[in-house]
Amino acid sequence: MRVGIMDDVVITGQGCVSPLGGDVASTWARLLDGENARGPLGCIPVEGCRVTQGAEAALPDLDWLSQKEIARLSRASRLALPAAQEALRDAGLCDVHGRSRVARLELSLSTTANGMEFGERFLKRVWAGTRRGQAAEIARYPSQQQVADLQQHLGFSGPSMIVSNACASGANALGHAADLIRGGFAEIVLAGGFEALCELVFCGFDCLQALAPEECKPFDIGRRGLMLGEGAGFVVMESRAHAARRGADIKGRLVGYGHTTDTHHITQPEPGGVPLEGAIRQALARSGLVPADIGYINAHGTGTPFNDGAEAAAFARIFKEPEIRISSTKAAIGHTLGAAGALEAVFSLLALQTGCIPPQINTTQPLEGMEGRLARPGDLLKKPAVLSVNLGFGGSNAAVIFMNS
Amino acid sequence: MKTPVSILSMGVSSPGGATTAALDDMAEWPSERVAEVTTAGAAHRVARIDLGAGPFNRWRMRPRLRRASPLSHHLMEAVSQALAARPDVDPKRVGLVGAFFIGCIAYSVRFYKGLTSEGRRFASPVLFPETVVNTPLSHVVCELGIGGPVYSQVGDTSCWISALRTASLWLANRDVEHVIVVSGEEFDPHFLDVMHAARWFGRLPETGIAEGAGALLLGQDAVGAIARITRIADGYSYRTRVQAVKAGRDCLSEFDASLPVMATATSWMRNISLTVLAGRTVPPKPAEPDFDGLGVAAAWNTIRAVGVVQESPGLRLVVPSWGLSQQIGAVEITS
Repeated sequence: MRVGIMDDVVITGQGCVSPLGGDVASTWARLLDGENARGPLGCIPVEGCRVTQGAEAALPDLDWLSQKEIARLSRASRLALPAAQEALRDAGLCDVHGRSRVARLELSLSTTANGMEFGERFLKRVWAGTRRGQAAEIARYPSQQQVADLQQHLGFSGPSMIVSNACASGANALGHAADLIRGGFAEIVLAGGFEALCELVFCGFDCLQALAPEECKPFDIGRRGLMLGEGAGFVVMESRAHAARRGADIKGRLVGYGHTTDTHHITQPEPGGVPLEGAIRQALARSGLVPADIGYINAHGTGTPFNDGAEAAAFARIFKEPEIRISSTKAAIGHTLGAAGALEAVFSLLALQTGCIPPQINTTQPLEGMEGRLARPGDLLKKPAVLSVNLGFGGSNAAVIFMNS
Repeated sequence: MKTPVSILSMGVSSPGGATTAALDDMAEWPSERVAEVTTAGAAHRVARIDLGAGPFNRWRMRPRLRRASPLSHHLMEAVSQALAARPDVDPKRVGLVGAFFIGCIAYSVRFYKGLTSEGRRFASPVLFPETVVNTPLSHVVCELGIGGPVYSQVGDTSCWISALRTASLWLANRDVEHVIVVSGEEFDPHFLDVMHAARWFGRLPETGIAEGAGALLLGQDAVGAIARITRIADGYSYRTRVQAVKAGRDCLSEFDASLPVMATATSWMRNISLTVLAGRTVPPKPAEPDFDGLGVAAAWNTIRAVGVVQESPGLRLVVPSWGLSQQIGAVEITS
């Protein structure tokens, strides 16, 4: 095995909030049990939509904040804050008050809809001709507000980068953090993604008829669409030297990152998955690994006809080993858009740490080439590396590869 | 930022025209009074781009761009100019970083208005994809054959500085030979309501609102460079006016104290900048902008600074970006 160019980028903490749980342990346990968070949505209005179900997260208590402070937060911040704090705590970087021990901490973040519920309410007030409440609402809408919330309530400052490459954003945020460390621009980065369900985006996918009217079935011949979800995933990434200096426990490594742009269509990938293949091969080349080193792929697997077909085609060309296992965790937690790549990175790291692979739920008739490769309950990881891939509107493709410490 | 980055070419789309020189004559830009949506009485000076007029109309006939947002057209114009100025640079080996504050506001508002007034079942599948933040850059990549990595970054009006840092990272890591950094904004009347609600109009002399785009082609090769970026200071965040003053001072402390600092602040940040810049040299040229391009303003200011250092060999100029809602950054431009 060759040595890759990202060998010094390590992960020392991880955290998440998902529709399956408010932290890493509960989410992972239910994911391995094959549970599914699909249900009626109470947090956004969906009456009149073709599909009215999705995967809604229970908002965790933010016990270190006052009720007044919590009332000011967007739903996106209420998902991001506990996930980011869990990652910092896991990395040994939280003090007894739940605030960061690192005063200047770089952020590499992803989202697609920011605090959209405040933007929606602002517009309704504008159209109603009332100024009352507009100021508070517009202040909480933009993405930099979630940055400000993280910095204020977790007690740090520093540069921030928010990438919004649609559904590939989460993987981009982690890849960018690795690039910052590799380039010597930062020694430690809090990287992650967050996304809250909102009316505008839900209706957008509904009008495209991209939402599944029944269970989401990734890579199934009878797949009928995706299930929208929400959540947040965060990791603490450091240079190996920085982690060693502070005696941090290394949870894994990000060893490869690739990203490409597919110009086939704004909302549909190139059917053969060629641009995605390019991103995966870039990540493999940077990691110094070969396809046979990958034991598990956390696929994008939205459950839409176009996405899954392109993805399966790309996988078939690159990965020839029959023992590789593939699953899309979106069937369980939904498609969390800007958070997807970050959440799925956490699941990929957990697969490496525990040796367990999340099973592919709901799929009964696999696409050609995927038979025998979709993960089943109890499947164990048998190779040293895990790949996570994401595709997004606008043709954004990203692939990240993780290994154990 | 570890090593200087060369600025190889530039591109501009503005209400004053599609040239860098247009940024020197903002006072001459055609403008109109546009009313806020909430109360039709309050009107503001706005400069818009006529997409039906040349040279901007050259993108309208491209099939992929027929329904694209105005923002996509602004970006197309600026990026294509930057590429056209350096035909020796292969677009397939160029990365692209976009910096956005407002993003696709016109189509987002239309889409949401449609679903709230007509019913959710009648939301427009044509409009929705054009509301996605990275769609405009996707159009640019497709139409101009750009083949490198692409990021759409969002943030406050200082997001441009963060995007420049991303570009310098890609160049330092040798992930790509050249990177275009572009910022753009499209105007929609609802943004006047945003500015009103955020109290960004203030009591100061009126600065107009403008739309458009600005782009820089960056590389590490010094041959053919028109200027250099020699330092980037990013990530000085604030939540209050007191913190904003401290953030401004901390940011500018990253630069040699003897360097002149360009006057770029708008809205409520003007007073903050006056406090921070006390004792610093603020050159008379380029003058304070007559129009605030919000997210694109930082790009335009950087392009104006390049024009100044080109005229004065040896000059180093600090160009701050006084983000209106979260952070302050700055870049040092050297001839």
